[in-house]
Amino acid sequence: MSTAAVIRFPGSNCEFETARVLRKSGIDTRIYNWNEIEKLSDSRADAYILPGGFSFQDRIRAGVVAAGESIMDLIFQEAVNGKPILGICNGAQVLVESGLVPGWKPGAIQGALASNLSPGRSGYLSDWVYLKSTDEAREKSPWLCALGQEAIPVPIAHAEGRFVFREDDLDKVKSNIGLVYCGVNGEAAEGWPENPNGSILDIAALMNPEGNVLAIMPHPERCFHLWQVPPGIKGPWGELRRNASLKDLEEKPGPGAVVFKSLAKYLGENNG
Amino acid sequence: MSKRPDREELKKEISKRGLAMTADEADKLAGYVDRLPTPLEFHLFDTMWSEHCSYKSSKSVLKTLPTDSPGVVIGPGEDAGVVSFCHQDGKEWDLVVAHESHNHPSQVLPVEGAATGIGGIVRDVYCMGARVTGSMDLLRFGDPQGKKGETTRGIVRGVVEGIWKYGNALGVPNMGGDTEFHPGYDDNCLVNVVAFGVVPHDRIVHSFVPEQAHKEPYVLILTGKPTDSTGFGGATFASADLDGELGMGSVQVADPFLKRVLSEANQAVLDMLFEKEVEFGFKDLGAGGIACVTSELAAHGGLGIDVDLDAVPVSVKNLPPEVIACSETQERYGLAVPATVIDDVLNIYNEKFELPRLFPNCRAAVIGKFTSKPMYNVVCRGENAAETPINYITEGVVYEREELPIENEIVEPDSRPCNPSVDLVKILTSVSGCSREHIWSYYDSEVQGVTRLRPGEADSCVSVPIEGSRVGLAVSGDGNPWYGELDPFLGGAHAVGEAVRNVVATGATPICATDCLNFGNPEDPKAFWQFKQAVAGISEGCNTLGFSGGDFPLPIVSGNVSFYNQSIGGKAIPPSPIVAVFGKIHDHRKATDIVLRKEGNLILLIGTRKDELGGSIFYRTCLNHHGGTVPVFKGALEKKMADWVLSTIHDGKAFSVHDISIGGLAVAGAEMALASGKLGIEFSLDSNPVTLFSETPGYLMEVDGRFIEDITLPEFVSVAGKVCNKSSVSGNGWFVNLEALRKEWSDKLASIVWREEGV
Repeated sequence: MSTAAVIRFPGSNCEFETARVLRKSGIDTRIYNWNEIEKLSDSRADAYILPGGFSFQDRIRAGVVAAGESIMDLIFQEAVNGKPILGICNGAQVLVESGLVPGWKPGAIQGALASNLSPGRSGYLSDWVYLKSTDEAREKSPWLCALGQEAIPVPIAHAEGRFVFREDDLDKVKSNIGLVYCGVNGEAAEGWPENPNGSILDIAALMNPEGNVLAIMPHPERCFHLWQVPPGIKGPWGELRRNASLKDLEEKPGPGAVVFKSLAKYLGENNG
Repeated sequence: MSKRPDREELKKEISKRGLAMTADEADKLAGYVDRLPTPLEFHLFDTMWSEHCSYKSSKSVLKTLPTDSPGVVIGPGEDAGVVSFCHQDGKEWDLVVAHESHNHPSQVLPVEGAATGIGGIVRDVYCMGARVTGSMDLLRFGDPQGKKGETTRGIVRGVVEGIWKYGNALGVPNMGGDTEFHPGYDDNCLVNVVAFGVVPHDRIVHSFVPEQAHKEPYVLILTGKPTDSTGFGGATFASADLDGELGMGSVQVADPFLKRVLSEANQAVLDMLFEKEVEFGFKDLGAGGIACVTSELAAHGGLGIDVDLDAVPVSVKNLPPEVIACSETQERYGLAVPATVIDDVLNIYNEKFELPRLFPNCRAAVIGKFTSKPMYNVVCRGENAAETPINYITEGVVYEREELPIENEIVEPDSRPCNPSVDLVKILTSVSGCSREHIWSYYDSEVQGVTRLRPGEADSCVSVPIEGSRVGLAVSGDGNPWYGELDPFLGGAHAVGEAVRNVVATGATPICATDCLNFGNPEDPKAFWQFKQAVAGISEGCNTLGFSGGDFPLPIVSGNVSFYNQSIGGKAIPPSPIVAVFGKIHDHRKATDIVLRKEGNLILLIGTRKDELGGSIFYRTCLNHHGGTVPVFKGALEKKMADWVLSTIHDGKAFSVHDISIGGLAVAGAEMALASGKLGIEFSLDSNPVTLFSETPGYLMEVDGRFIEDITLPEFVSVAGKVCNKSSVSGNGWFVNLEALRKEWSDKLASIVWREEGV
């Protein structure tokens, strides 16, 4: 059976549901504390996940203190080895601060997740947004390889989720895009609230050039089941949710399940 | 030690130390120790005898609340209430609930006050051994467009910020609540907080030193944030009139990051203790800090304790003993364990979870030993800081307060012109009637991945808190200040009624309730009468709305009283009984929301409309009238309606359900349509204010057209309209296009309170 390790930093708070959906996707998953480096090293996990939360209280900048923890040396090495690494929300912030994404020069910080920029408000935003994958992502990301071309609704919950880069890198970054914010039917996002944080190029998730590392701001683990989708949501997923039978509600996957299904598929193919 | 002081000396001590106790109380204390009490003793007893801790004015009235029902495991008395919840994989699970106010701190320092409110209430649930699976906030603010609008708007923004900054970081999903605005809260906002969680029945933890401590050595381990001077005198502050800017130093400072790490460390410690089959006691530090936790853990277990304040990790050196012992520094817990496991416990906190590395001087430390001699002894720097027979500390005080009824004359408006096409728009775009969406948008309601229905999607939020189980938990909290003001009894009764309806409308059966009773000064006989009336109203509501069969009531299992909610001018807030109800649905997949499903479906009206628009939003917003006849509370009828709604939902016949409360039938219908995108409702109803806007309790329910062919509807159910293919609500001679006002309805609050447009 494939294995995954969820890394808990002080202040992480999504480790349990993240581990739960990985297990439900057929991946043997364990949670490791930030200081259980030896245990993690011995586990030789097939994939690593940095969950959401507020690691080290977002001191200095979200993700920056966790990025300096010794355990990240191991994650860094595994990323270079090509193992699938996923950072969700605060985990994504840690990956950016570790220089693993965009990862043109691994270890160098070449992007940032800045404060949300939205008209007339500041601070935290919880909402549901629509996401669409890129061709590159479906081709090379172990986390997105099972996605189709259609848009999926996924919840967000963050105050610093706006991807920003140097002006000179804007062209280069396009091939690192995993997911973009979009309209209900996959059309390009028309500003706020479709793009909920002002992220450049509507980026919701960013890969390293090899595709094995993915930093995603929305929370796919929170929409693993159909019953987690809001009944009033627009688009085909709303129809599916409102018309679902009791059986469907329990058994049908939610829009976020495909991320973990992607990993299971990838590990299945690559681990024989 | 000195000889027993006279009254004049005591009065001087009271004023010198800024104590809230009376000279009589100080004299009683001096009698207990037969000398001049030490500073620590003064502050300890001042806290224990404060209204906040002792319930000295309310105790005798609270005894009249119904608390007993077959599912109750622990009623009022410990840190939180516990009821039986469900069985899963051979394990028995209980629900743990707590409810409290953080009103005065939030008025003075809104961000910190509201944050600490959540911090305190989740600790009450954690310390019963539970995992916290949700919180709710019941907020009452002044008029954001009124005379003190600027202050009010700042408080609203600050409170919401405090809630998201704390709650989101903690990883506890926000399961809604409610927000009301009333000029009576201009000087004194209300921030009531509810937290709940689940615990296996055999892992409930108690807040006293266990029986075993009589047979082997037990110690007190203090863990968490190093003690500082914050919150010194907090309980006393909560028990006095709010006096301008004073009291700021009494507000505690919360740290959700540390709380999150501590919670996980606590779980690991409890796991270890259960595995070793060790008996232990566990209690959070709230009001009265170390002094309270040490004396209560010991006294409730029938023991004494020696406390060494020099062993307490502190963040500031040379704090006086009474500050170390009584400050209300947040994020701390006390653990009573046998001496044999000290190393195991310290290792988990200090090594495995590295508390000392995460925050300077943060760590677990042994600070006391339980003793068979029933004395409370505290030493600090080689001196006795307290030496008191321990039973006196927890014995408490009781006062019988006087009451004086207020005669409220019922005045109806002279005429009641009604044009729903205009009136409904006015209501839905008013501060009272608009969406609360902007507030929820700051809250994380989905962390933990167990949320089934979020704020705004249904009448109550629903979660699925136990892994592998289909059992859903529905929660709602309510209380209408406009009713409370006109009739405190009905304010109490309808608070129960509305919270019950909100839970029932999602298909959940109410299993228990909590209350927070917010009133003025209990020494004022009129305010005390309001308090007694509201408690009687809650009792009436709970006694008639029990769902456990027989004559069993809906039990109140936990709660809180907050007096002295008034301004320096002495004007009390509107009587504000706020009730939270917790419901269980055996299969969460059957839970109903308010989203309309299909054009052509019928809309049933449950609950015949009566001419009782007193306190209604229609009177207030459209007629600028604030009096009138408040809806009668008919408990037996409400129970019948609830039973019928529940059975229809469980039969799978109800597509969507919304309760009728503030705004009446028309607003309920509009809210369903606004939640539904492209669908709306065509009512077959005339433009009559009673039919459309009376707030007589009831429900709207969407069913298939064939549903009514097969059954005889009860006399309280009628067909009121059908679902149409337009985002609108309409009736005979009136029509409201909801698409046109949707933006204003959802954005109104943000535009006034956050962006300050047009104020």
